[in-house]
Amino acid sequence: MNTRTLKRLAQVSLLALAMGTTTLAQAADVKSIAILTPEDPTDYGWNQQGHDAAKAVAEKFGIEFIPATGLGYGDVHPQLREVADDGASLIIAHASGYNTAAPEVGAEKGVPVAIVDRPDANKAGAIADYTLSGHEGAYLAGVLAAKTTQTKSVAIVVSGEPPSWNSQSAAFAQGVKAADGSIKVLYAVIGPAAYSDAAGGNRVTASVIGAGADVIFGQGDGATFGMLQAVETGKSTAGGKVWFIDVIGDKTAIDKGHLLSSVVWNLVPVYSAMVEDLKADTFGTKGYSIQLADDSVQLLKTTHIPDGVWGEVSAVREQIVKGEMKIEPIWEADKVRALMTSVTDAPAQ
Amino acid sequence: MDSLLTEAFLTSLLFGAVTAGVPLLLAGLGEQVSEKAGVLNIGIEGMMLFGAYAGFVAAYCSGSFALGFVAGGIGGALVAALVVLLCIRYGLNQIVIGIAVTLGMEGLTALLHYFQFSRTYPRLDLAPAWALPLLSDIPVLGRALFTHNPIVYLAVLLVIALGWLFRATYIGLNLEAAGNKPAALDAAGVSVVKTRAFAVLATGFLSGIGGAYMANIGAGLFVPFMTGGAGFIGIVLAMLARGRPVWVLLGAALFGISLAMTTALQVAGINIPTDVVQMLPFAMVMLVLVIFARHSVLPPALGLPYVRGER
Repeated sequence: MNTRTLKRLAQVSLLALAMGTTTLAQAADVKSIAILTPEDPTDYGWNQQGHDAAKAVAEKFGIEFIPATGLGYGDVHPQLREVADDGASLIIAHASGYNTAAPEVGAEKGVPVAIVDRPDANKAGAIADYTLSGHEGAYLAGVLAAKTTQTKSVAIVVSGEPPSWNSQSAAFAQGVKAADGSIKVLYAVIGPAAYSDAAGGNRVTASVIGAGADVIFGQGDGATFGMLQAVETGKSTAGGKVWFIDVIGDKTAIDKGHLLSSVVWNLVPVYSAMVEDLKADTFGTKGYSIQLADDSVQLLKTTHIPDGVWGEVSAVREQIVKGEMKIEPIWEADKVRALMTSVTDAPAQ
Repeated sequence: MDSLLTEAFLTSLLFGAVTAGVPLLLAGLGEQVSEKAGVLNIGIEGMMLFGAYAGFVAAYCSGSFALGFVAGGIGGALVAALVVLLCIRYGLNQIVIGIAVTLGMEGLTALLHYFQFSRTYPRLDLAPAWALPLLSDIPVLGRALFTHNPIVYLAVLLVIALGWLFRATYIGLNLEAAGNKPAALDAAGVSVVKTRAFAVLATGFLSGIGGAYMANIGAGLFVPFMTGGAGFIGIVLAMLARGRPVWVLLGAALFGISLAMTTALQVAGINIPTDVVQMLPFAMVMLVLVIFARHSVLPPALGLPYVRGER
């Protein structure tokens, strides 16, 4: 090897080192995290959990937090551009309705974006999907519902059929049937994207209560509050109390004595992983999940759950955490409906 | 499925149909009054929304559902006053103002809700109901159709009252003239502006009560955007009804029953896509539109501002 070759090798090595250093510097350069939500973060649900988790992650990593909330379900291109211009290192577009606009603005402004309900859209360094499901928790909720119902009939009421809710609806039904195969599981969708249809939520919930259900598993954003009111003012066909199981958030603060439980999501581990991935230059190369094992999904223990029942539910949780029981998510609406039909047709006790 | 068809289930379905239909009935009747007078009131969605908010606040603070309905009506009329000012007084485009009113009320009520209720989400108790003697004892139908808050019976009586008003009174004649030939009404010495203003305020009042019903009886609470297009369905019903209030009643009933059917089919576990089931109410309305609305005659001056002396 002559001197000239050695010089060339040294030059190439220095160049490679410089490039590597530059890449690492870029990858580690996470200065702020922005989140856009369609509704105000005071819903004890999807919007609040997302907002609060992003804020917690910003504090955890010592980076700036840029919230943009209550943006509605329309075109959010201007708001996305605004947060990008504000210097956001990561934009979390916290609504399925934003999953087209966010990648467009992300590409335009060179900012990585996180979106939901588009698992096929992952793109290294640019787009990461975080379609999540608390199906393991929903399975436990199904077990809890089966142990609670007096009428041997429970119901799922949803204000739409996004993948996350589908998987939870399916897991809830499976949990009910696993605990007691004789229990009927009713299923009703309020309307097409009826997320804020509180009156519809109330009407449909009253109908399923009339059909015999005394435990309601409700997924509905603003419509959830209509479901809650129907549960609070209704009586089961057996003359007893009707219970409500919520999802994503914890509504204990506004409970009037009917909130049995909730499948609570903790998004801090997910958003933390996104920041870590940005730092490690692996953002957009994989999906994210929440599960019972790391408490990113939990079944809320309220004072309305008897200790004995909670013990039985906890035993099932242990089986899932240890891997002795596997709950597979079912994302597609048609498969969920087919499952509901089969479980509904199960013989009544 | 047979085990589901219990009296309790059928009653709750029909009761739900009435609850879903009443706001549409009130909004549709209100729109009919405006359209008779030549005003295309696209903003009734916004009037309903503000009526829902005002009605809920009044009922929640006072504990009186009756006061809630009055407040809802006044709230709707206040929003309508904006339409009177901009469209009737200043002759601005009724469609543009109507859309602006709806969007404005969506923002305003969401903002008010955020400051007042977004951390507490207060909910009302069950509204008082009047059981009509004898009729309320009929199995299934009695509880579903004849055990309701008095506002429901008033809404049905309003159908008869408006039919009489349109056909047999000078007010009805003036409204019709304001929509068909405003210049003739003006020549007869009756103020077109006042007649149309009265019509639009009445629309706002009725729509506001419809919104208050939706919040206080239908949901038991107020959440942003909760009217979800009910005002626009009211406009469709008014157009279909061709000036006859009883047709608005039939349309609202049809829509309510279709909504109840969507729940019934799903709860029964009928394995057809939910999307198809949920199209039912809208498909029914469109079907009726195709069958009956071909001959609908709208007032010639509908949507046009009146300027004295202009041809």
